Amino acid sequence: MADAMQDSRPVILSLAGFSKSFGEIQAVDNVSLDISEGEFLTIVGPSGSGKSTLVRLLAGLESPSAGRLLLRGRDITVIPANRRPTAMVFQSLALFDHKSVGENIEFAMKMKGVPPADRKARVHELLRLVRLPESFYARATTQCSGGERQRIALARAFASDPDILFFDEPLSAIDYRLRKALEVEFKDLHQRTGRTFVYITHSLEEAMVMSDRIAIMQAGQIIQIGTPEEIYGKPANRFVAGFLGEVNILEVAGGHFAGLDRPAPANARRYAVLRPEALRPGKGDVTADLTVVQRLMLGSRTQLFLRSPTGAPLISEVAGDAPEFERGTTYSFGFSPDNIAWVDE
Amino acid sequence: MRVGRRAAAVVRALWIVAILAFLYVPIVSVVLASLANTRYMRFPHKVWTLDAYRDALGSFTTWQIHSISLSIAVSVVLIATVLGTLGAVAFARYDWRGRSLFQRILVLPIFFPQPVLGLGLLLSFSAVGLAPSWKTAVIGHLVWIVPIVTLVVSIRFFGYDVAQEEAALDLGASRWQVIREITMPQLWPGVFSGMLFAFLLSWSNLPLSIYTSGPDTPLPVWLFTRTATNYSPLVPSVAVIGTAVSALIVIALALVLAAGKAVRRA
Repeated sequence: MADAMQDSRPVILSLAGFSKSFGEIQAVDNVSLDISEGEFLTIVGPSGSGKSTLVRLLAGLESPSAGRLLLRGRDITVIPANRRPTAMVFQSLALFDHKSVGENIEFAMKMKGVPPADRKARVHELLRLVRLPESFYARATTQCSGGERQRIALARAFASDPDILFFDEPLSAIDYRLRKALEVEFKDLHQRTGRTFVYITHSLEEAMVMSDRIAIMQAGQIIQIGTPEEIYGKPANRFVAGFLGEVNILEVAGGHFAGLDRPAPANARRYAVLRPEALRPGKGDVTADLTVVQRLMLGSRTQLFLRSPTGAPLISEVAGDAPEFERGTTYSFGFSPDNIAWVDE
Repeated sequence: MRVGRRAAAVVRALWIVAILAFLYVPIVSVVLASLANTRYMRFPHKVWTLDAYRDALGSFTTWQIHSISLSIAVSVVLIATVLGTLGAVAFARYDWRGRSLFQRILVLPIFFPQPVLGLGLLLSFSAVGLAPSWKTAVIGHLVWIVPIVTLVVSIRFFGYDVAQEEAALDLGASRWQVIREITMPQLWPGVFSGMLFAFLLSWSNLPLSIYTSGPDTPLPVWLFTRTATNYSPLVPSVAVIGTAVSALIVIALALVLAAGKAVRRA
């Protein structure tokens, strides 16, 4: 689980036995985690998995029911949000809509008592950092577009010169193209500033693009943590595998792939996770005749929804628009057991 | 098509005129009545005169009823704004045990018929040995107006993203700085509307004042009794003066607000 990058950098934030319950509901359940200095860590989970509560605990906006939180070895468990050297970009962004863009960004400095002239100079610097024109200083936040508002929220968080930036799904309400552009910008900003980013999202795709490490959360617990490659290549269980988008999950029963009626290899475990792109038309170590049920063009590739002779649904992805795979036609598809990720549950 | 559009425009214009007439004919007729020299409400007048205004402005009573109404209204505004804003915090901002019960109980006085409420208040005052005066009228008005101000301010609480307060806290603001930098500026439009409501509702209130003001006679009570028993053009002229005074106060408040905003911008 520990990768080379994590080992080489000191730990900035350490959680031990972190829990939070609201009445009967255990939102965060005994989470222990070390976050490295300068790392981009993304916590991914479906809604209700406790990821938002976890980040609010880290920011100090909620206090934990149990557990300890160490910042560079110092216990900050009971330190409130306004005295933690961290800043959060909120899901709603929470821009102060009665203040101008400049007043928003300089807020943290104003609270610290920085003189107005110094604040203004720093705001101009921050506007450049997030690639906004300096003329935005006097603009009302309500006159800014969605992408501009994201950048203002970022600049405002950076203005407090935080050791760690938290992001609580800031891109969840943004349209696809802008989201893609901002993901790249977040990553770029992370590299340029060298700060530690802890990012919350429900989209593993978003996490894959940006993160050094990804933690998968389910029912208040972190069920897997690792690099994007590790998560993608060796999912811990069917839940993580399914979170990656559409995959084939084949149950192994009696030494055979159920639904395919083909023998499974000796190292087989309970379930075989097979990426759609690993199930290819033509030859393979394991082959089966599959019927095309549906064909979806996805631009550079085509998704084929297939059915085995015994009725098991499968999915394959091929390059190009693959016109020969008409609905109702049957082809031989195959895969190599080397491409299977085995999971037990 | 063209004819249809023009007809629609005519109908719309007529409709607007009808609505305006409906709203303003009563006010205009009071003004007209104040310009007569006769005790009988007859129209058109034979003589147009400003005598009633001369009498009204020269009369001590006019000043007295206005000063009583103003004392009541200003007291009500100050107290109702503080109580209503605090009440709105409990009503709209925090989730606490008993909140939904509080929300229901709070609005009850608004639904209670005011004359009954006034009578009830009078009985309560005499039960505890309070002699009715303009001060008891303040208490009476508050019973009815505080819930209204609470509701008006509450609407504003629902109208802004409260995550802004958490964001301010996260950026290093203390609790007090959060209130000063975020909560109060965001709440201010609601508080200001609440103040206006409190003032106007108190200024024009009759049914509660009749029971609770005792020997002190506020403007609406004087207008009501004089209309019922001893009518002369003095009554509409005082009514017009009273309306002008309240309008001037509201305009002055709005100007102060705008000036304050301009100063803060600069």
